[in-house]
Amino acid sequence: MVPRVDIRLPSVMEPVVGGELRFHVEAATLRDALDAAISRHPALEVHLFDETGSFRRHVLCFHNETNSRWLDGLDGKVEDGDTVTILQAVTGG
Amino acid sequence: MGARVAIGTVKGGFLLRLHGKGNTTLEGPFFKGWKVTSFAQDHKGTYLVGTASDVYGTALQRSQDLRKFKQVEQGPAYPQDGKRKLNQIWRILATRDALWAGVDEAGLFRSLDGGMSWHPVEGLNEHETRSAWQPGAGGLCAHAILAHPTDPNRLYCGISAVGTFRSDDGGATWEPKNDGVPVILEDAEHKGIGYCVHALVLDPDEPDTIYRQDHRGMYKSTDAADTWVPIENGLRERSFGFPIAVDPKTRALFCVPLESDEYRMPSEGKLRVFRSTDRGDSWHPLTRGLPQDNAYGGVLRSALTTDDGSGVYLGTTSGTFHYSTDAGESWNKLDAIFPRILTVQAFGEE
Repeated sequence: MVPRVDIRLPSVMEPVVGGELRFHVEAATLRDALDAAISRHPALEVHLFDETGSFRRHVLCFHNETNSRWLDGLDGKVEDGDTVTILQAVTGG
Repeated sequence: MGARVAIGTVKGGFLLRLHGKGNTTLEGPFFKGWKVTSFAQDHKGTYLVGTASDVYGTALQRSQDLRKFKQVEQGPAYPQDGKRKLNQIWRILATRDALWAGVDEAGLFRSLDGGMSWHPVEGLNEHETRSAWQPGAGGLCAHAILAHPTDPNRLYCGISAVGTFRSDDGGATWEPKNDGVPVILEDAEHKGIGYCVHALVLDPDEPDTIYRQDHRGMYKSTDAADTWVPIENGLRERSFGFPIAVDPKTRALFCVPLESDEYRMPSEGKLRVFRSTDRGDSWHPLTRGLPQDNAYGGVLRSALTTDDGSGVYLGTTSGTFHYSTDAGESWNKLDAIFPRILTVQAFGEE
């Protein structure tokens, strides 16, 4: 059975995703989960990734409690009930 | 009178309605938390809105009513090779056959399908001088686009701090057109660029006449940008500024000079709009109803506009909004404090 993952987006994304800030996708890896989120809301892609294909500098992606930047890529497995959260990095004063 | 004015700020967009007799209503913010950087309306009535975020990047939105928006999935974008970044959509222009978008990092994009998909204008974006293009204080941005009213092949694009370019073949090729304006960032190899154009407008009656607020002053060309001459009678030392607008009804020109490029705020704390009613031969300050004490907010290049009913509208970097319904003779201040105002665009009545 493919794991069901909870996607959570910041409220500022509301106009980008028509207000759907939380939804579920079926995915085997973190990358699959992000791809599925973008498949559901294609407008998301440009806001998460820059012209190098990497996460934008101030965009954070957490797999459960772990910042994706500390993971060895996005190909790690996800499990049923996991959460993928997009956040804006707190930078500046 | 009745008018609708879209106001883009660093924290969202607003729609102001002027109902006459000083009655106004304000809707918004839409795209709360996002920069709203440009507005346009195509010939079918669809609105196009540039949005941006320092965190989440830039996108183009389409809307039928400025209430509900749909992001353009194939909007202006640079290739995923990391060489250039799309930072902001500065200007959107609808011509008879196409839509055009000028962006930062400097480039021009065109849509031939009503804004659903956009393609780079390679003749400008990959211009032979490109390697020498340098940014101004506001970035390396293509912020001005003009189209000849009857000749679809003739276009202009203003890029800071590169200069004005003209195309005579519908955007296939472009040539720098800055003779007569002092260069600001001279390049060793490419002598046609390094000019800091701030804003451009076309004369409504004479399509080869263009007015140019430049970093180095106010200029006019009567030969389709081949040559430029200063038009600063009345502006004196106050010829530095960003926006220029033309009233399509009275043909009056408007600008908002600032105190030099060093200070970039209104001189003496006085917010003054200067108007020319003789095609730039002379300029005169307009102050009635505008704050003349302790006003230090400037007006950005896209934050001054007109409509076809003698309306003149401006938003300041301090978030105040001022409007005239009599071609600048007198001004009203809207009872609102916006975030820093980036762009102001007037639309006709619904």
